[in-house]
Amino acid sequence: MLIDIHTHIWGPPGSPPCSSETIESSKKDLIKAGEKYKIDRIYVSGLYSHYPDEEEIAGLNWEVAKFIKEEPKLIGGFCYVNPAHSNAMDVLKKGIEEQNMEGMKLWVATFCDDERVFPLVEQCILYNIPILIHAFHKAVGQLEHESLAPNVANLARRYPEAKLIIAHLGGNAYYGIKPIRNCPNVWVDFSGSLFRRDDIDYTKKLIGADRIVFGTDMPGASFYNNLGQVEDGDLTEEEKEKIYYKNALRLLDRRERIL
Amino acid sequence: MKAVDLNCLVGHWPFRKLHKNTLEDIQNVHRANNIDGGYVASLNSIFYNDPFEGDEELHEILKDADGYHHVLTINPKLLEFEEDIKEGIERFGIKGVRIYPGYHGYSLDDKDLAELCRILKENDLPLFLPLRMEDPRLNYIITPGTIAMDEVKGFLKSFPDNKIILLTAFVSELKQLEDEIKDHSYVKFDTSGLKDTLFSIENLTAVFPAEKIVYGSLYPLYTFRSTYFLIKHAEVSEEVKAKILSCSW
Repeated sequence: MLIDIHTHIWGPPGSPPCSSETIESSKKDLIKAGEKYKIDRIYVSGLYSHYPDEEEIAGLNWEVAKFIKEEPKLIGGFCYVNPAHSNAMDVLKKGIEEQNMEGMKLWVATFCDDERVFPLVEQCILYNIPILIHAFHKAVGQLEHESLAPNVANLARRYPEAKLIIAHLGGNAYYGIKPIRNCPNVWVDFSGSLFRRDDIDYTKKLIGADRIVFGTDMPGASFYNNLGQVEDGDLTEEEKEKIYYKNALRLLDRRERIL
Repeated sequence: MKAVDLNCLVGHWPFRKLHKNTLEDIQNVHRANNIDGGYVASLNSIFYNDPFEGDEELHEILKDADGYHHVLTINPKLLEFEEDIKEGIERFGIKGVRIYPGYHGYSLDDKDLAELCRILKENDLPLFLPLRMEDPRLNYIITPGTIAMDEVKGFLKSFPDNKIILLTAFVSELKQLEDEIKDHSYVKFDTSGLKDTLFSIENLTAVFPAEKIVYGSLYPLYTFRSTYFLIKHAEVSEEVKAKILSCSW
């Protein structure tokens, strides 16, 4: 079994009932990837501009909800929220209660430990859903409000019952893993276009295999970037199974409180 | 058909610990994936003030390794590099020369690089040109220079008769270089940078002849299977896969 916790449909949202051309292209790629790579479940969030307005957020979540309806077996959704918006809580509630999404996605509009995020996290704890947080340490091109691992660790310590996923190994594993290693409520995904040989081994050494989940960042990255990291890593078959799907199943299961 | 990896290295990388950095590690991952050999360069040579000392180390490692060929590292800004090439040919049986403009601080229109290209052509040796070694977002301590696509375009036009292998180019960069790569009789590119899109081999083989694409992993800096699986599982003919995996000029 294989679960991809981190993919996107990219582009400006369309107008109901039609998706935009670029979003349609993302959807086609993800469906094709699901078939070709035998992925059982693909979790999607919609992204476009770094500081989306309320209309864009609503449109992107509508696109994800539409995709879930079209491909219910393959596609799951993470509700994209801009915490700077006054309607952010309503967006989250609509995403989880009406649009059948299974987690919340935070990107780069605010740091993830901004106080405007707190009520959203409290609601996610009530829902018992995971929060996928983009975090990326960059030597070049750091965005103004782009979270880093210490931001994720701050949030994790404030809310030990929140199930947090730090994406992309925090960008650079050597900056991303140590700050969260003593936060048992933080999982990591290694999605994206980086595939250094030693990142997974390093991550396992610091936090073990139970907190690593498989993600790809498709369609903006090659699926094999990430599959290759697991297959080349010094991992047992049991550890690979945990990474490929078992850890994600635990995280996504709303019936059981694991923290 | 012998399958080869055109882009593998042994040695140390000064910015992080490599856990699989020996020839044996390369051979193990190659054997497990039906790769018969490789073109190997020294990571140490990039950073040694005299790169040739790293190549002497590499020669000791490769001298009894069937199917594994020595690629010499040259910094053309260092004096007497022509002597190193001569010695590399005679003592090590080198099969190519690798340069690092981004780390050694020169551009592709440098006059010493032009001299290097003249020598390589004279000796029928290919030039291995890495466009990068790591994603610049992961730079640590130093910031290597970047190579602009316009520079590469000019370089390919300036040396139409040299055998050149572009290493670790992104799909988006290869699209920018489409005309220059097609127009050059002897240029090829490897697979180690094909990370930024889905279905890259399928898409690239629709644009470029398969003879232009060679398999290169950049192992052990990058994972091996991330790029090997691109070819193994690509929806292209077995003939196309064989061409990519077996480099011939």
